[in-house]
Amino acid sequence: MATSFSFSISMQARVSDLSATTTRFCLQKPASIFHNGKTNLSFSQRHPIPARLAISCAVKQETVEKVSEIVKKQLSLAEDQKVTARTKFTELGADSLDTVEIVMGLEEEFGITMAEERAKEIATVQHAAELIEELIQQKTA
Amino acid sequence: MRISVMSQMQRSFSIDLPSLIPLQLPSRRYTHLWYVIPDEVKSTSLLKRYSQLLSQTEKDGVDQMRGDELKKNALLARTLVRTTVARYQTNKAFDPRSLMFKKNVYGKPEVDWQNCNNQPLHFNISHTDSLIACGVTVHAPVGIDVEDKERKIKHDVLAFAKRFYSADEVNFLATIRDPEAQRKEFIKLWTLKEAYVKALGKGFSAAPFNTFTIQSIPGTEEGYSLCKTSEVTADPLEETKKCNGEWKFALLELADSHYAAVCIEDDQANEGAPMRVIVRKTIPFVEDQLISERIFL
Repeated sequence: MATSFSFSISMQARVSDLSATTTRFCLQKPASIFHNGKTNLSFSQRHPIPARLAISCAVKQETVEKVSEIVKKQLSLAEDQKVTARTKFTELGADSLDTVEIVMGLEEEFGITMAEERAKEIATVQHAAELIEELIQQKTA
Repeated sequence: MRISVMSQMQRSFSIDLPSLIPLQLPSRRYTHLWYVIPDEVKSTSLLKRYSQLLSQTEKDGVDQMRGDELKKNALLARTLVRTTVARYQTNKAFDPRSLMFKKNVYGKPEVDWQNCNNQPLHFNISHTDSLIACGVTVHAPVGIDVEDKERKIKHDVLAFAKRFYSADEVNFLATIRDPEAQRKEFIKLWTLKEAYVKALGKGFSAAPFNTFTIQSIPGTEEGYSLCKTSEVTADPLEETKKCNGEWKFALLELADSHYAAVCIEDDQANEGAPMRVIVRKTIPFVEDQLISERIFL
């Protein structure tokens, strides 16, 4: 029986985002993506797949919340300012110095170290959460 | 040597937007640095006219910003780029709306000249909450970065430097006793390093901050040079430094409130020649004010 592993992969074509690197899978456990004979992948084969894809996977809500909190603190945002996984740092008025300070805050909070190049390319709360979970994973592996 | 020239303000008010006053391209070795102070742009009708200059993508970008102040600043940034680049075009009736922009393969914004090749003009933009700047050069890639002089760093400055800057820069900052002075030098270094990476235009991974040192040139008041650290031997203590004059730097203060760093790639024909920066404050379509012309050795 196929492993039941409930997550959703949303393909986001970031054609205009030239800083995106290669396609990456961020599955945390080896798992079959087939469930009862059907795929969970929700895209149509008829659409041409752009050269650069970003696959966002489900990160822990807890991680997203901690990242949001650190972002709000660094940018001195009001408590009621809405920050979600998809919020871009630039939308909140963050510049490169803010991004680096946010990264330092994340490193302290999660006990990880990010390579500068990857850190500076973090654009959204989601990206940060994904990178954090990847680094935590590597640390505990 | 410093030359400061204050000229009269040119004002031209009109109900409809007047045409843009054209500009002569900068000479080689010159950078034209333009800046806008958002607080000085209050007219809602003027801002509305500015928004009519933007492409749909740019308008979407402005709309995504959270809050009126951020929206206004994003609008002013795009307006500054469009109007400034448009003014340097030889066609006097050049419409700033017709400019197209693209990103190079690493993501650095540049003008998409469409069918006109070999256009010499380069630009780079930087903004803070309270000042937006645009640098223009010919035949040489340019990078600029501006920061509020009073910007507070939320982390310990030395810890931040140890994490991201080069060893020599950390040593330099560590010698500064007064925390305020140390913070200021940290910010100056940040703007210089950012300006270099932006001038290079190859993305962050091409020049991680800890792989190069920017330091004052001894004997000059405001000269800076770039030294790249390379670990050639197996022994990490034998890091060699290669200091070259290929990249020129200028560090200035704008409006008494901001540090601005300008970095350009030195044209081989001009090697060793000083770099000149002409600073002008502007409100697009309204006024220009020549602030200074400076030489950096």
